[in-house]
Amino acid sequence: MTSKSSSDLILSMKHINKAFPGVKALDDVSLEVRRGVVHGIVGENGAGKSTLMKILSGVYTKDSGTIEFDGQTVEATSPMESLRMGLSIIYQEFSLVNSMTVGENIFLGRFREAGGMKGTHQKAKALLDKIGSSIPTHRLVSELSTSEKQMVEIAKALSFQSKLIIMDEPSSSLTEEELAGLGVIINQLREQGISTIYISHKLDEIFEYCDYVTVMRDGHVIDTRPVAELNRKDMVGMMVGRTIENEYPERPHCVGTPLMQVKNLNTRKLHDISFTLNRGEILGLVGLVGAGRTEIVRAIYGADKVKQKEIRIDGKDVKIVSPQDGKKCGMAFVPEDRKQQGLVLPFSVESNISMASLSNLKNGVFLSKGKERKMAENKISELLIKTSSPQTAVVGLSGGNQQKCILGRWLETGPKILILDEPTRGIDVGAKYEIYLLMKKTVEAGSSIILISSELPEVLNMSNRVLTVADGRITGEFDPEKTSAQEIMNRAIG
Amino acid sequence: MNTKERVKTFLQENLVLMTIVILVVATALIEPKFLTVANLGNLMNQFGPLSFVALGMTITIIGGYIDLSVAGIVSLSAVFTISMVDVLGQTGALLAGLAAGALMGLLNALVVVSCGALTQAKALFMTYALSAVYSAAALLYTDGATQHMSHLTSPTTLFKGIGSGKAGFIPVSFLLFFVIMFVLHLFLTRTQTGREVQLTGANITATDMVGVPVKKRVALVYVLSGVLSAFGAIVLFSRITTASPLLGANYETNAILAVVVGGTSLAGGRGSVIRTMLGVMLVTLLSNCLNLLGISTYIQSVCKGIILIIAIWIDRRRTK
Amino acid sequence: MQVFKRILKEIEKQKALAAILLMLFMMLFFDTRFYTAYNLLDMLNSAAILEMLAFGVTLVIICGGVDFSIGAMMSLSGIITIKLMDYMPLWAAILAAIACGALVGFVNGFFVVQQKTEPFIITLGMGMLLKGIAQQITDAHPVPAKNLAFMKIANSRLIAGIPNLIVIMIVMLIIFYCILRFTSFGRNCYAIGGDYNVASQSGIKAVKIKWATFVICGAMAAFCGVLLSSKLNTGSSIYGDATALSVNCGCVVGGTSFAGGIGGIPQSFIGLLAIQLLENCMNMLGISAYIQQVCEGIIILLILWVDNYAQKRKSEAV
Repeated sequence: MTSKSSSDLILSMKHINKAFPGVKALDDVSLEVRRGVVHGIVGENGAGKSTLMKILSGVYTKDSGTIEFDGQTVEATSPMESLRMGLSIIYQEFSLVNSMTVGENIFLGRFREAGGMKGTHQKAKALLDKIGSSIPTHRLVSELSTSEKQMVEIAKALSFQSKLIIMDEPSSSLTEEELAGLGVIINQLREQGISTIYISHKLDEIFEYCDYVTVMRDGHVIDTRPVAELNRKDMVGMMVGRTIENEYPERPHCVGTPLMQVKNLNTRKLHDISFTLNRGEILGLVGLVGAGRTEIVRAIYGADKVKQKEIRIDGKDVKIVSPQDGKKCGMAFVPEDRKQQGLVLPFSVESNISMASLSNLKNGVFLSKGKERKMAENKISELLIKTSSPQTAVVGLSGGNQQKCILGRWLETGPKILILDEPTRGIDVGAKYEIYLLMKKTVEAGSSIILISSELPEVLNMSNRVLTVADGRITGEFDPEKTSAQEIMNRAIG
Repeated sequence: MNTKERVKTFLQENLVLMTIVILVVATALIEPKFLTVANLGNLMNQFGPLSFVALGMTITIIGGYIDLSVAGIVSLSAVFTISMVDVLGQTGALLAGLAAGALMGLLNALVVVSCGALTQAKALFMTYALSAVYSAAALLYTDGATQHMSHLTSPTTLFKGIGSGKAGFIPVSFLLFFVIMFVLHLFLTRTQTGREVQLTGANITATDMVGVPVKKRVALVYVLSGVLSAFGAIVLFSRITTASPLLGANYETNAILAVVVGGTSLAGGRGSVIRTMLGVMLVTLLSNCLNLLGISTYIQSVCKGIILIIAIWIDRRRTK
Repeated sequence: MQVFKRILKEIEKQKALAAILLMLFMMLFFDTRFYTAYNLLDMLNSAAILEMLAFGVTLVIICGGVDFSIGAMMSLSGIITIKLMDYMPLWAAILAAIACGALVGFVNGFFVVQQKTEPFIITLGMGMLLKGIAQQITDAHPVPAKNLAFMKIANSRLIAGIPNLIVIMIVMLIIFYCILRFTSFGRNCYAIGGDYNVASQSGIKAVKIKWATFVICGAMAAFCGVLLSSKLNTGSSIYGDATALSVNCGCVVGGTSFAGGIGGIPQSFIGLLAIQLLENCMNMLGISAYIQQVCEGIIILLILWVDNYAQKRKSEAV
């Protein structure tokens, strides 16, 4: 890399480390951003991009490393502090108060500074004019489109005289026209000497708008290069890398006849989803966060309302409008958010395991404590769940063991279709392997699995077949044994 | 765990029981009349209406919601039942009263679920407003007049039995309470539906995801609360032989007090009707104690308000 | 057809105003006695105190809380004023009562904001507590005031023949309106109620501000209590029993939603006025008090239901 004088740089992050319980999010990450450029950051889910940005903006504290912003060493401890420094971050979900006007949102918490109601709206209008936006400042944020909300956030950043604006996945929910408009603004900012960090998985946009790009993977920075020096193939290669030391059991091969057919699944987010699931098959869904994978499985299971869907199981049309129906059809659903949607935290391991099979525990009218105990003990030994006793509250278990409880719960029901949404997230390597073995055993016994995972190697090593999902559509179908990771990722990025 | 830790844990978990023991001992020392058979019988008598309402309240709280409409249900079911005695006979009237309670519970559930009140907080408002409706309906139904059992022409021995009957020196109402409490305890801890109610209260989303019909369980807890409140109303007017349309006033706060003091968390899922029985015992003992000491009912009200606030506060801190 | 749809949408936005206009229109046919200056002024006069109560509560609701202790506070403060009048000058007694209100508000704020406990039950419990104190002090008998000056406060017409209460209400309306619309305190209330986290992250001192709204509401409830007992020249522990529910819901009718961050003084004013108007009309039409209560109860229920349902629809959009 060519050497730069420090006055060229608006931001210099050196040797940043950040670990969370069980996972190292950032490992010796260094990043330099010049003034007046557009700097892209790309990487798969879990590469560390958002952790890095949250450290910059003061939401998280780094474990070690230094950050220099605008020539000074800084240690932002709150979002407000980093804003005052001149660093703004625009999140995908936006930090706006929906029930208030555009003008007031731009100057939120600075009513007096801005000069009261009159001053707020005057100054707000001036800022919006600067970026060529004609949104009336008296309109409520709740009435704005995503692109308009973005304009408001940019105006807000400008109101703090930001020298660096970070945009996290700015183009999701934008039309082509709106995206072009955003591009114009980013160029304007560049001309004014304001740098933009553009985090996105849309490689086309990186090539279109960015001057430099940093590729991250698994908490590391792989490389930082001028965009002109790279092509798409290189970039995808760097994002995906080679599988390092992950251990996977031998891929199961017991795919049989078709079991379930999904046709014309349509919701607000999904468009014409249709696919088949075979018996004994592990079907992987690959895509980036927000592509629609979880929406697809939730819709099939009956957890969400849909505009339209047709499902056939074993050749018969079935109507599934609630999780009750889904369960009756032989489905099981292990959700992404294990703490809020999967576990009943204050209850025991025993109760969490038995809760999907209560009708099997009956002794006449009453539930048999003995049967429940036995069921729990069986699962605990079968799945190697580490707990001091079946009565321990499940909140005290480690992530991996908690996940095993949920798996145990569903395996007890003997499901035909087991849906796993991020089953190994936040789980240590040892427990992961055990879960993979479990998956293999399940399909070998005749069930099918739909697997959603953001860890590409995991999906590619365990699945018999992979569907890529992007922007609410199924964009491709692959055999992971015959297709390269690069090709699949490419199609998933869309 | 050494002895010191064991004792500490035991005390923490059985705080209510300890307090009751202390109260009993303290009161007996201050006022020897406390331990007479007459006063004890009197105490057990006081177990009546509130204890049933508190049982119902416990169930809705365990289910993850709350029923602030009990005051209205008590008033309306009381006046309705009395008005039905001459029409349906005493057994018929009793059943009609319970049915009215059940219907009101069903209405509660419908209102709460249909507007998407997935949290207890929203249910608070809705049931509070429903209480106003039921109370107003009671006033309308009787045109503001108090119903007298003595004005009835049909026999009312059933009610007299419920209200003032005794088996030995134990009041019938206390026996009924004990039996019902026991049945409910078995229901909650040993049946599938009861377990599903607990799960719904602890985490409605997760429970929905495993295929439990959560809406039906919510309806169940409200119906049970309605029926139990109606039964409490029947015990009450059987005892005092009159039913004013304002009969239920303050029952909701007293019931919540008994439940929270007894140790059932407002957060839902965990909790037990046995604990509520202890809570009612404590509240009743406290009132009895204060009465014996000559402290006015108004100050008792103040005390209850303070205890309620503190109990909810502690409960919140515990479950944060 | 398009015009019709637009009209419907406007009506939906201004439900309370529409309701008021509808009632005014209907009364033309049913009973023209309604339209005497006496009746209208009288109605406004009796609504004045509740309106002022609504102003205080509006502040709390906009900031994301609720206060159901206002009714009991109102009755207690009247009693305190009357009792203290015998020992100190009138103005001191009034100030003491208001100070009590502020103290109660402070305690409410502690539990709700600082300790993050559920506001509804806490303030309900507080109301029970305050009522007990009120009953204890007065032994549940109404307490007559013996001070002529006190009675004059709410019952005379100092300016241009307009009843004092209406004047005071207008002054309060302007003050609270300005607070909510023109001060950073007020605007921050909207932010906090709209999205607590975003507001906190923007450097707004959410805890302090939300706590303060409870204090102001308590003081306001006390102030209204003073006015009420001045008007009736007695202090009683039964004033304010059903007030908390009807005032809070009056605000919601007008558009100040329990969701927080929405509504304001004009909305609460019109909403409560609509409910008062309804009562007045029903009285004029000779509808029995009991039927009135049932109607009011059902209306309040519907209002709360719609308020919740709207939020549900938004989050479930398929």
